[in-house]
Amino acid sequence: MNVRADTANRQVGRSVPRLEGPEKVSGRASYVHNMSVPGMLYAKVVRSTVAHGRILSIDASGAFEISGVEHVFTGSDVQKIVPDPYFGPAFHDQPVLAIDKVHFVGEPVAVVLARDPYVAAEAAQQIWVDYEELPAVFDEVEAMKPDVVVHDELKPAGTFPDLKHLIGRRNTNIALDYHLKRGDPERAFAQAAHVFEHEFRSQQVMHVPLEPMVALAVVSHDTMTIHTASQSPSFVRTEIARLLGWSENRVKVKVPFLGGGFGAKLYIKLEALVACAALLARAPVKLMLTMEEQFYTITKHASTFRIRSGVNSEGRLIARHCEVLWNGGAFADIGPRVTQKSGFTAPGPYDIDNVSIDSYALYTNRPPAGALRGFGIPQLVWAYESHTDMIAHELGVDPLAFRRKNILKGDRPQATGTSMKDAAVEGVLERIAERMDWSGKAHREPSGPGKRIGRGLAIGFKASIAPTTSVAIVTVSADGSTILQLSTVDMGQGSNTAMAQIVADIVGVATEDVKVVTPDTDVTPYDMATLGSRSTFHMGHAVRLAAEDVRAKLADMAKSVGESLATTERIGDLFKKKYGMQAGNAVGVGTYIPEYKSPDPETGQSDKITPFWMIGGTGVELEVDTETGKYRILRMINAADLGTPLNPKIVESQLSGAAMMQLGFTMFEEMRFDGGQVTNASLADYKIPGIQDVPQTMENEIVEAHQHNGPFGAKGVGESATFGVSPAIANALFDAAGVRITSLPITPEAVFHAIRAQEEGAG
Amino acid sequence: MRGFEIVRPTTIERAIELLESGDPGVRPFSGGTAIMQMMKTGMFVPERLVSLAGLSKEHSAISVDGEGGMKIGAMATLSTLERNDLVQTCFPVLARTMKRLANVRVRNVATVGGALSHGDPHMDLPPVLAALDAIAILRGPSGSREVPVADLYTGYYETVLEPGELVAEVVIPPSDGASAIYRKTTSRTADDWPMVGVAASLRLSGSRISSARVIVSAATAKLQRITAAEDVLTGQGPSREVFADAARVASAHSDVIDDAHGSSVYKSALVEIEVRRGLRDAFEGETAE
Repeated sequence: MNVRADTANRQVGRSVPRLEGPEKVSGRASYVHNMSVPGMLYAKVVRSTVAHGRILSIDASGAFEISGVEHVFTGSDVQKIVPDPYFGPAFHDQPVLAIDKVHFVGEPVAVVLARDPYVAAEAAQQIWVDYEELPAVFDEVEAMKPDVVVHDELKPAGTFPDLKHLIGRRNTNIALDYHLKRGDPERAFAQAAHVFEHEFRSQQVMHVPLEPMVALAVVSHDTMTIHTASQSPSFVRTEIARLLGWSENRVKVKVPFLGGGFGAKLYIKLEALVACAALLARAPVKLMLTMEEQFYTITKHASTFRIRSGVNSEGRLIARHCEVLWNGGAFADIGPRVTQKSGFTAPGPYDIDNVSIDSYALYTNRPPAGALRGFGIPQLVWAYESHTDMIAHELGVDPLAFRRKNILKGDRPQATGTSMKDAAVEGVLERIAERMDWSGKAHREPSGPGKRIGRGLAIGFKASIAPTTSVAIVTVSADGSTILQLSTVDMGQGSNTAMAQIVADIVGVATEDVKVVTPDTDVTPYDMATLGSRSTFHMGHAVRLAAEDVRAKLADMAKSVGESLATTERIGDLFKKKYGMQAGNAVGVGTYIPEYKSPDPETGQSDKITPFWMIGGTGVELEVDTETGKYRILRMINAADLGTPLNPKIVESQLSGAAMMQLGFTMFEEMRFDGGQVTNASLADYKIPGIQDVPQTMENEIVEAHQHNGPFGAKGVGESATFGVSPAIANALFDAAGVRITSLPITPEAVFHAIRAQEEGAG
Repeated sequence: MRGFEIVRPTTIERAIELLESGDPGVRPFSGGTAIMQMMKTGMFVPERLVSLAGLSKEHSAISVDGEGGMKIGAMATLSTLERNDLVQTCFPVLARTMKRLANVRVRNVATVGGALSHGDPHMDLPPVLAALDAIAILRGPSGSREVPVADLYTGYYETVLEPGELVAEVVIPPSDGASAIYRKTTSRTADDWPMVGVAASLRLSGSRISSARVIVSAATAKLQRITAAEDVLTGQGPSREVFADAARVASAHSDVIDDAHGSSVYKSALVEIEVRRGLRDAFEGETAE
């Protein structure tokens, strides 16, 4: 890894060990799961057993026969305190508890409250719900037709101007259609020497945070506190206040550490339900999901991507059409954002003059899909980078050479018209090629007969979610010690440490001496959410501004007492001089929102679609057993452009963690269904990678770069190493065995059947 | 989950008494790794659990007799099997198998008796013990009886164990120069339950195979000893062709089923490949994968 050396007075760029490490490994860190308050009731959710149906009746009498059951509430109870109890970040389509209809197996229909969680769980099984079953639609391609409609009417939240045209639309499952057009694709296709068209599919998977979702609502006289494992405390407060018709300052949201988030714990998940239940029961209510229930709460979009490319006689890509269907499940959640914000990168990091994109967010009767590490990008890269290799192969060109010829170089604009400034697309590609010795002759030998070695690479990119706001407060106490208040959630990614480094660097203290206040919306200021690798850039700027602000105030204070901050040895001395004793504070505030220009509604064009680009790529060497279809990853290289790293060690673990997560999604993870019911909703049947599944060699490369508008030259990194993993493996398998897998996951059985089919075809 | 009772007998006789009724809500547990899964998913709702932990002291010994035969107390944990010197010397295949059986947390508490009586075909220990001709000593209300491990299973999660009957001990006859292997194929993670498990044992007398064992599990509804494949091998000189023939027969005679791990077409092909490779490994004395 090539990073700036540690220097004595610089805090940024130093591999500071995690600030929260000792607290976590000693078992002292608190999580919502550990919390309990006097008089607390445990909630258990009664879930729909049908994929689509009308609720005819709910009989809860059996539950009350169990001793210890305090309450059972349904959608109509919720309506007593919230007349229109629908929520969601993009559409107000999700009821706190089902009203009249259910839309997927697992949808919350009722909730049982008891003093004991096991009593609540047993009682939940004694509640009988009668449904009139309706036809259901599960597949995103079928959902394009309005034969079965999941929601009678579309209800966009109104927060997004580009969803306004969907208000009141009926007889459709399309929650958002996003279109982009650049140049004249029709003409270019007509002129192309070769046209290639392929279809790729990706499967529905789940985040599997090892700390399942959990929330606890405590009601006071006219306020409420919600303790929740959430990635978006500010959003939870706003949305709960909206639902209840309260002012925001009556709702306090507190978030301790999270045991993983990965996008699962965004927006509202359990918070509205515990808030309503606590108000109805007039008691604190805690809801802790099981691992199984998480599969019915939020997932990653399955997708179908049809991609068509036109290449001229010189091997240049001149036209591309992308049609992407996103299986959003029963509630839109943030799916429409995935459809648009990720959709516009669907043509890949290639310099193509004529491009069109049609990207559709679709409702189906599956568990809802939302944000998951990569926010749609891994599904897109899976398709466009497999497609790139397929074109290269058809043309008889080396896949790297084909990429070199067509890749976006320098400041060239991407499909939206926004320049790829400070995006090391070439840098990442070349680093992978160099590490793999792509053009070299020395390649490893297979370990035995029937084994074959192959290698592949892939590269992808992502825009930041724009425009979003972050606010931070830095307080210097009278003894000179420093406190940082922010609503960024440290869910394991190390944000507390990185943000403290920024404060320390500017204020001139050691990172370890900065106290970080974890989210409490009464105390920590607004932040849009911890998502989409936005914190380093957005919150990083807000923290920088707050630290600079407090430093300026300290300088003023020094001046006012006839001193200079630069020569003051102990900051506490300034306070003593100013206030006559150890008293007072200096408070700095920073607010940041990047520049942004909405895309043209007709063409999708904007020259400021994102404040920065994230680039990530993967190179893979693998060995496949052509008899069994089993393959082993011998070497995996993950390279990313993340600007200048604030903390190289944390960056490296972000790269390896992201790559491993995507490796699971590539090789075996898959939610399986039977009539809308998930059949493998447990860690016994849904396996995630363990230590023995890590590739033999894994190298994580930081490609030297500088993000000119980033805090200390940095930008986000949490997702970048997910981008290239799936297609790099598929490309390496093709290289090894000559078979092309176009559907995820790439199981040994899929490889086996492909090899057998090829042999039969040849024989 | 409703409340339930846990009783901890300290003698096997008392444990048998407690289990004798055959009440479906009453079950024994030792490591509890399987029963906890069943309870969490609601597949099993206990009235009373009979903990066998109090029997550990008396029933977890591992010993070897003068001829090299081994006795393993049913309460021996899988990690004991993994680390025990006698096991490593006399039946190294057992110790090797443990390395990729679930994870260290499971192996530290799961017991040999539990692994044999659970009846889930997706387990690693039963096929290996079957290939070693191991015999389970069962203790029950009507006394003691011996059942070869290969005959313990009657179907998917079904065993010959009668109500109140417990596996008390496992007896493995001397290896007598036989070489045994176990090959495990998983379809998801490395530490997953097997999709296909193949155990084999070969004993050579001069240049001929004097006895062979071929066991297929996980791909089938219950562990299967494939005697037809053993017959192909017995009396023959070990060769690539003979192993391939036996493997084809083994696959043809395996009652392979579809499940979440894979299709029966795929698993049948894998049985053939794995038996062929396993016989080669056993012959060459290679370390099982």
